[in-house]
Amino acid sequence: MTRTRILTGVAATLALMAAGCSGGGEDDGPVELTFWHGYSEADGDVLEEIVADFNASQDDITINTELKTWASIDDTLLTALSAGEGPGLVAMPAERLPVYASKGAFASLDDFYADESSNTANLVPGAVAMEEVEGEKFGVPSGFVPLAVYYNTALFDAAGVTEFPQTWDEWVSASKQLTVDEDGDGTPEQYGVVLPDHATVANGLWPSLFYGNGGDIVDGGTAVIDSPENAETLEFWSSAINADQISPTGIDGIGADELFSGGKAAMTVGGPWMASIAAENEIDYAIAPLPAGPAAQAASAIGISMAVTVDTSDAEQAAAEEFLAYFLNEENSVKWSLGSGWPPLRTDIPADAVAENPTVAALTEISATGRPLLPGVVNSVDVLTAIDELTQRAVAGEDVATLLAEAQAEIQTALDD
Amino acid sequence: MSADHVPVRRYRPPAPLGGRRRATGSQSGRNAKALLFLTPALIILGLFVVWPMISALRLSFTDASGFGREEWVGLENYVKVFTDSDVFDAVTNTALYTVLFTPTAVIAALGLALLLNSPHMPFRSFFRTALFVPFTISFAVAAFAWSYLIDPQVGLLNYWLRGMGVQMGNVLEDPQLAMPAVAFVAVWKLFGFYFVIFLAGLQDIPSSLYEAARIDGAGPWARLRRITLPLLSNTMAFVLIFATIAALQTFDQIYVMTGGGPYGHTQTVVMEIYESGFRKLDIGFASALSYVLLIATLILSLVQFVFFGRREKDLS
Repeated sequence: MTRTRILTGVAATLALMAAGCSGGGEDDGPVELTFWHGYSEADGDVLEEIVADFNASQDDITINTELKTWASIDDTLLTALSAGEGPGLVAMPAERLPVYASKGAFASLDDFYADESSNTANLVPGAVAMEEVEGEKFGVPSGFVPLAVYYNTALFDAAGVTEFPQTWDEWVSASKQLTVDEDGDGTPEQYGVVLPDHATVANGLWPSLFYGNGGDIVDGGTAVIDSPENAETLEFWSSAINADQISPTGIDGIGADELFSGGKAAMTVGGPWMASIAAENEIDYAIAPLPAGPAAQAASAIGISMAVTVDTSDAEQAAAEEFLAYFLNEENSVKWSLGSGWPPLRTDIPADAVAENPTVAALTEISATGRPLLPGVVNSVDVLTAIDELTQRAVAGEDVATLLAEAQAEIQTALDD
Repeated sequence: MSADHVPVRRYRPPAPLGGRRRATGSQSGRNAKALLFLTPALIILGLFVVWPMISALRLSFTDASGFGREEWVGLENYVKVFTDSDVFDAVTNTALYTVLFTPTAVIAALGLALLLNSPHMPFRSFFRTALFVPFTISFAVAAFAWSYLIDPQVGLLNYWLRGMGVQMGNVLEDPQLAMPAVAFVAVWKLFGFYFVIFLAGLQDIPSSLYEAARIDGAGPWARLRRITLPLLSNTMAFVLIFATIAALQTFDQIYVMTGGGPYGHTQTVVMEIYESGFRKLDIGFASALSYVLLIATLILSLVQFVFFGRREKDLS
């Protein structure tokens, strides 16, 4: 008896585990599609609205959104897809798309782009460049915005800086004017600008500075970081940071946000999220493009991509594409832009359509200066690590020529890998 | 006739220590029952430990990414493990971490166990509990808490030190100090466990040995060297092996506190496995590196086991 009972227990456990492992069956109702995204602020509300409108607009497709953090999307997508439990549609930072695409995680969207009704014809070219891997498109942009300077207008007034700097030299001299070391201990209490030297936003800031002086990182699959232009850029900024103390060192993007929101830095470089951070901390701010370098006015852009995963059936892929086309239509493009604070993804949307949101209007004006970050580079992890090491050690005062040669070798290895 | 014989034939002298046949019967029954009770645990272990291990072994010979196509690549991943410069750096960092963590944690645990084993120590129970508490909290929580404590802008520790005229700076961004910092957090978090094991080991040593030694005129140092440490060698082996394994597998607090930085100075082997697997989606290579780490850990544990086993044999 006891043995029978135990056996029954074991069998029940096994049955439960088996049930837990198997996925749900498909039924004949509307095509259901799960959509993972990380839009958690006002942008999330607008996205939910667009999805709800889409679901209500027809009876064949239901999109179910699942909000996760951007980091957890990256951490769980691999395991979810390999277990066959992945989402049908996923949004992720654009520089992460190539590695997933190159491993076969996403469906090709070339046919979708070729279709006139996909609303992709007028997308910002830089944004589309971030969706391409070896000439094939695997995603649709949901965000593309060049880095810009967010500055504290109260601190500008207090220091008597009336004009926003237009060139690097003006930028440095304004920063010096805004740097305050009250007690004279050599550590300013207020910095003119905060230039992070590694991680997050620094990964976009330093490429922007390189572009400004005519330099680049990767060109057509070859590392080109070891150039005289980039050496000049690093020396210029390292000297401004160390000798003139216009910015603290050893700061990452999050630290930079904290300094700016605490009123301890007059300028910071960032994306649309800085607008809400500044507002939360009751800081009067304005937005300006990155001052032009000697060679160009350019800024690295931050991109978010949406991709259709290989876990989808043909019907599901068609459903996902229908949603993407809906998301990109003119009305939703304006709605998404105004609600999220990111500039419109379509070049055919007139500036006055988004004029009611001053952040969007300011960012739309500089949208054309945005350059995609490492488009099509599969191993962006190692390339960005090499840039991190380069900028951090250059700012710490190490020899720029040696550092550039090392970074060049590392990036080339990463590209060849 | 036969009736006369039957009782004789049936007679069997009782086996020593009870009936043998009965004993065998109930033993196998008990084994079967034990096995049945173990079945759920064995199934879970099989599904979540053994099966993944076998899968990982297979994956380590492929170029798997976790989805889509995968191809057999033979020993390519293993060759890369032994030739890749990032792996070499990660191994160097892990060795440094192990050297920083293991002796510190073990010596701190042993010292405090000796101190708190003394019956003359006031508030013994309080201190014992207090030292064990960090072990019960999650590693991620401990890492977040310490990141805030030592933060150069908002950290309390920095604030107090500054009051005393000491500038700590941004420890986690300093290539020389980041590794000691993450190792320190692990010592703080884990040594409570080793401390309790040492305490248990100390309480196993009969007090009569100490009394006899005291009568023979042995001082505290001699008693520690001649009685305590030799009789603790089993415990020591256990703690050292555990601490070394913990050091070789370190991940949590590094992931939270430095993410492997500043520029790779805290990138350990497990961080490298994570990055290869989940950032570069190179599951095949990550599996191969995991297997190499497993074998290295086994060898190191075995060496320690043999070393301490021999010492104990010498002593007995």
